[in-house]
Amino acid sequence: MTTLDLPSRVHATLVTDRRELAPGVVLLELDAPELAAATLPGQFVMAIPPSGEAAATALGVYEAEMRRASLLFFITGKRTRELAELHVGERLDVLGPLGNGFDLSGSPRHVAIVAGGVGIASVLLPAQALIRAGARVQLFYGARTAALLVEAQRFADAGCEVALSTDDGTAGYHGYVTDLLERSRKHDVVLACGPSPMLRAVARVAAQIGVRAQLSLEETFACGVGGCWGCVVPIVRTSAQAPSFPPASEGGSDVVNARICKEGPVFWNDELRW
Amino acid sequence: MVETQPSLAIKLGKLELPYPTLMGSGCYGSGEEFAQFTDLRKIGAVVLKSVTRLPRVGNPTPRLVHTPAGMLNAIGLQNPGIDWYLEHEVPKYGRRPWRVIGSVAGFSVDDYAYVCERLAARDEIAAIELNISCPNVASEGETFACDPNLTAKVVRTCRGLTDKTLIVKLSPNVTDITAIAFEAEAAGADALAVINTVRGMAIDVDTWHPRLGNVTGGLSGPAIRPIAVLAVYEVARVVTIPIVGQGGIETTRDALEFLLAGATAISIGTANFTDPRVPERIVEELREYLLNRNLASIGEIVGKANVGFATAHEYEGDQG
Repeated sequence: MTTLDLPSRVHATLVTDRRELAPGVVLLELDAPELAAATLPGQFVMAIPPSGEAAATALGVYEAEMRRASLLFFITGKRTRELAELHVGERLDVLGPLGNGFDLSGSPRHVAIVAGGVGIASVLLPAQALIRAGARVQLFYGARTAALLVEAQRFADAGCEVALSTDDGTAGYHGYVTDLLERSRKHDVVLACGPSPMLRAVARVAAQIGVRAQLSLEETFACGVGGCWGCVVPIVRTSAQAPSFPPASEGGSDVVNARICKEGPVFWNDELRW
Repeated sequence: MVETQPSLAIKLGKLELPYPTLMGSGCYGSGEEFAQFTDLRKIGAVVLKSVTRLPRVGNPTPRLVHTPAGMLNAIGLQNPGIDWYLEHEVPKYGRRPWRVIGSVAGFSVDDYAYVCERLAARDEIAAIELNISCPNVASEGETFACDPNLTAKVVRTCRGLTDKTLIVKLSPNVTDITAIAFEAEAAGADALAVINTVRGMAIDVDTWHPRLGNVTGGLSGPAIRPIAVLAVYEVARVVTIPIVGQGGIETTRDALEFLLAGATAISIGTANFTDPRVPERIVEELREYLLNRNLASIGEIVGKANVGFATAHEYEGDQG
C-alpha cells in the first residue's frame, strides 16, 4: 500500500470467546476476518486498552483461520488484566498484523520448536504451516509448573510430537526445556519463543548442535511499529541491509541496533550480537 | 443554513500549519510508521527524531518502562548522524503529504550550529526544533536548557544560520523555566516547545536493578500533564512567541487545557502508543468544540484560562 491509503490495519474486532486456560492464562478469540487473513506465522498485534488508560499491549497472534484470530496471554499487570476482563460480545481494537514472522522457506524436513511459558502463543501458526508443508515438527514446551503447560494437546492434535518440561518436575522432564533440545540433535532448523534466558540458551544449544535457530525476542514495546526505537537489539548489519540500516557509530561498525518490533521480532541466532 | 467551519490553522513563526497538532519528536518516526493507522493529512506536522552531528548508538536496553499513568524512556538519542540522515532519510520526506519538522540535538554550540544549518538548508524540512533538553544523555543532554546563558547562545547562533522557524524545546527539570524561556525568545526563537520529559527512575524490587539500562529516564504520559500545563501557563506570561504545549495529552479536553493555558499548538507523543488514532480524533473534536461555542478559530481560546481575581472579574463583566 502507499502511505496515502486510508488506515487499513486498524481492526475493530469482537470478542467471540474467552477462556481461562489456567490461572492467569487467557485465550481471547476474536471475530477478525481481515486480521486472520493477513497474519503470517510469528507476527503480533498491538491491542488497544478498552479504557484508554494504559499503553497498547503487544500480543502474538495464536490462531488465525477463516474469520477467527485468537490471542493467548498471561496476566502480568494492569494492561493484560484489562484485556483478560473483556466479555464475549465486547469490542477490542487491535493494530496489525505487525513485525516480521518466522522464515519458513527452505522446505525444512525436521523442525524443532521451543516454547517457554507464554512463548507458546507465537508458535502454533508456524507449526501448522510447517506441518502443512510436509515437515515433521517436534515441540519442546517448558513452563514453571504443570498447570501452566496450556494447549499442549492442541499442538499434538495439529500433528506435532510434543515433549514437555517443567521447572518443578510436575509434568514432563524436570528441568530446562533446552536440555530436551540438546539431546535431540536431528533438526534442520529451530524456531523458538519465550523468555530471554531461554532464548539465549536455545541460541547456545543451536550453535553447539550445528543448526540455525530463529528466535522471537521479547521486549517492552511502546509503539510497536518502529517509531520510538525503544525496543532495540544489536545485530550484525549485512551488506544487503546497508544502507537501509543506519550505521551505529562513526567507526562504521557492522553491529547496529535493530528494532525488535519492526525488523523483528524474529531474528536468526547468528545475526544477533546480544 | 451554511455553517462556516471554524479554522484550526495556526502559525509558528513563518510556519503555517492546517492543524494545531504536532507529533512529538522521537515518538512518531517520520510519520510513515503510522500511516496505516491514521490519516496523516489530518495532522499538523511530525517533529522528527533528534539528529546529532555524529551517529549515536543510544542507551543500553531496557529503554522503556511502563509506569502508572505514564512511561519512562531512555533511548539516548540513537540516530545515524546528520550525513547519513541527509543522504538517506531526508529525500523521502519531500514526497509525503504531511509536513516534517527537523529536530537538532548536540553537545556544543558548534554541534547545534553544524546540524541546524545543514538540516535547515533542505526544502523537505519545514522548520527546525532545537532539542536542548534531552534528559537521557549522560551529564550533557540538558545542559543547555538548564542555563539561560547557554540557551541564549545556542539559539542566537542557530538564528543566524536559518530563516526557517526555530522552535526551542525546554526542559521541566529546572528551577525556573520562565528565565530560560525569556532568554530563548530574546535570542531569536520563533516558538517554544514546553515541555520535554520529566526525569524519573524505577527499580525492580526482585532483582534490585534499575529497570532502565540507563538507570534514569524521562517520564511522559498523563502523569506529567499538570506539570506541563503549569509550565505552559508560566511561560506564556513571559513570552510573546507561540508555545507548543506538550506532556501527557491524550484527549481533546487535555489539548484544550494546554490551549487555555497559553499554547498555540499542542504536541502528542506517548498517547500515540496507546492509540495512533488520537491525533485525528483530537482535530475533529477541537473543530466540534469551536463550532459548539460559535468560535471562528482555534486562536480565540489560546491563553483564555480564567486565572486570578482580575481576570475572573473581567470575565463576569463581559457576561453582564
